[in-house]
Amino acid sequence: MAKAIDIPENTPATTSRWISVSRTTRRRYLLFILLIAPAFLLRLTTAAYPILQTIYLGFTNLDFLKRTNDFIGLNNYMAMGSNIGVRGATAFTIVFILTTTILDLVIGMLIALLLNANFRGLTFARTINLIPWAIPTIVAGYAFRWLLDDQFGLLPFWVTELTGLRPVIFINPLAAQITVILVHAWKDAPFMAIILLAGMQGIPEDLYDAARVDGASAWQRFWRLTVPLIMPLTITMGLFRLVWSLGSFDLVYGLTFGGPGVATSVLALQVFREGILFFKFGFASAISVILLILVAVIGVVGLWLFRKSEVTY
Amino acid sequence: MSHSWRRTVSSIPLYIAFILFTILVLLPVYWMTRSAFAASTDLIKLPLIYFPQPTLQNFATLMEQVPFGLYLRTSLLCAFTTTLATLVVSYLAAYAFARIQFPGSGVLMWILLLTMALPDIGTIVPLYQILKTLHLSDSIAGISLILTSTLTPFTVWVLVSFIKQVPYEIEEAAILDGASLPQILWHILLPVTVPGLVTMGIINFVNAWNNLLYPLSFTTSPSAKTLSVAITEIYAGYSPWGKPWELIMAVGVTMTIPVVILVLLSQRSIVRGLTGGAIK
Repeated sequence: MAKAIDIPENTPATTSRWISVSRTTRRRYLLFILLIAPAFLLRLTTAAYPILQTIYLGFTNLDFLKRTNDFIGLNNYMAMGSNIGVRGATAFTIVFILTTTILDLVIGMLIALLLNANFRGLTFARTINLIPWAIPTIVAGYAFRWLLDDQFGLLPFWVTELTGLRPVIFINPLAAQITVILVHAWKDAPFMAIILLAGMQGIPEDLYDAARVDGASAWQRFWRLTVPLIMPLTITMGLFRLVWSLGSFDLVYGLTFGGPGVATSVLALQVFREGILFFKFGFASAISVILLILVAVIGVVGLWLFRKSEVTY
Repeated sequence: MSHSWRRTVSSIPLYIAFILFTILVLLPVYWMTRSAFAASTDLIKLPLIYFPQPTLQNFATLMEQVPFGLYLRTSLLCAFTTTLATLVVSYLAAYAFARIQFPGSGVLMWILLLTMALPDIGTIVPLYQILKTLHLSDSIAGISLILTSTLTPFTVWVLVSFIKQVPYEIEEAAILDGASLPQILWHILLPVTVPGLVTMGIINFVNAWNNLLYPLSFTTSPSAKTLSVAITEIYAGYSPWGKPWELIMAVGVTMTIPVVILVLLSQRSIVRGLTGGAIK
């Protein structure tokens, strides 16, 4: 095989200093396509096509048990209005993704500040910070369910010892909702902290030095320097978090399974229930479409926010 | 003297925060571990027993009552297959994106990343049908296939930045010596990108091992069920007043041990991977 050396000129470094093993550019393109083909074939068959199929199925009454499969237009969407499960889940999903994302960012920032400080035990703190990220979500769900058990859970026991009150969490809708949100923050804020910490460490030290020379206090340095400089990263991560929480179903599955009633049910859990447990493929797909619309809305709002927040230094 | 005393005082809030953080993170882990290694009768005594007599009885009970070994084997197989397949598929694509000029490669990368934004649950019904058609439902292969696909975009993204950090001169020299592409990928680039591959291998292993949605949705026979499905079945199999928490927590501990070991061994590497694609 003859080898021709072909170095493209006037192109940026690393991506382009490709020396072709073949004579022609066409050969190089073919190579590129072959190398990315497995990844793209996978995404095409198990992500792109299924999404389109979901949108289509949302207009049908495909039902594995009733054996129906007709095009019914917007009927699934009309039916959602009177479906208590879906209505409750939509409301709680929106509250859930907004509050957990804000909590993730705030608590994540606090943890990041702690992990950015200098103290004995820093390595230990950074290591255990990964445990909530690494622990399987379903396991975290059950562990907290048991930790908060009204009879033999540790936290209610402590509350009873201290105050004499007997908290009962999982049969009270509001308490259950707050619990789901807080446990979600326990699971995800440490991951947020890792990303924010990396962002903080990327800020040039001389900016802080300059601020110190100008007499800025630690408080001012945080609000005037750190916060604005990592704002684009914070918004990006906030968006990812919003979208990921939309699809999140493990935690609710383990912690409350949507209960009491449908108080803590989220749309993702409704999709699972209708589609996988009750085999109502059409209706479940229509709920999925609502999720996709929410993703799109978040994306558009997010891009707009991101453009507004960009700063240079 | 007074200066250092002052410094000590000013760092007190920091240590309070550190202690609070440690307690909050480890409390559920302690509670789970304490319950997994306790006799069931010790869990329903008041006042609560903080450190019950340790026992392995719950694991023995699990072995007797459910195909626990089989679940463990499936979980491991699924996680390893997924990790390996994801690394191979992503490594090839990442090499193309990092090193080969192609018109529109930026757009293709962007499309690949955009598919990450789709909620997994949104495709569950068509995926169920696809796996049925391919005769891959209720199998480790089917679950691994879907998981590999989900984990690929992020892995490609991070590996691209790892490959770009490798000086091109090494490959250049190899190409001049007449090395073919497979030789370059295998002998030249692979050894120097090992840290990136290990990092993404660990992250993908954790994600595959922890996944609940796919095995829960697509498996019905014990031979294809993972530990994450097993724990939900043990929980659901009992009445709300008599949950066998010692067994549920024993499965929980079994599922947590491998990921915690990975975290303890490679904290820095994981953090580098999680932030690798985003922040440089």
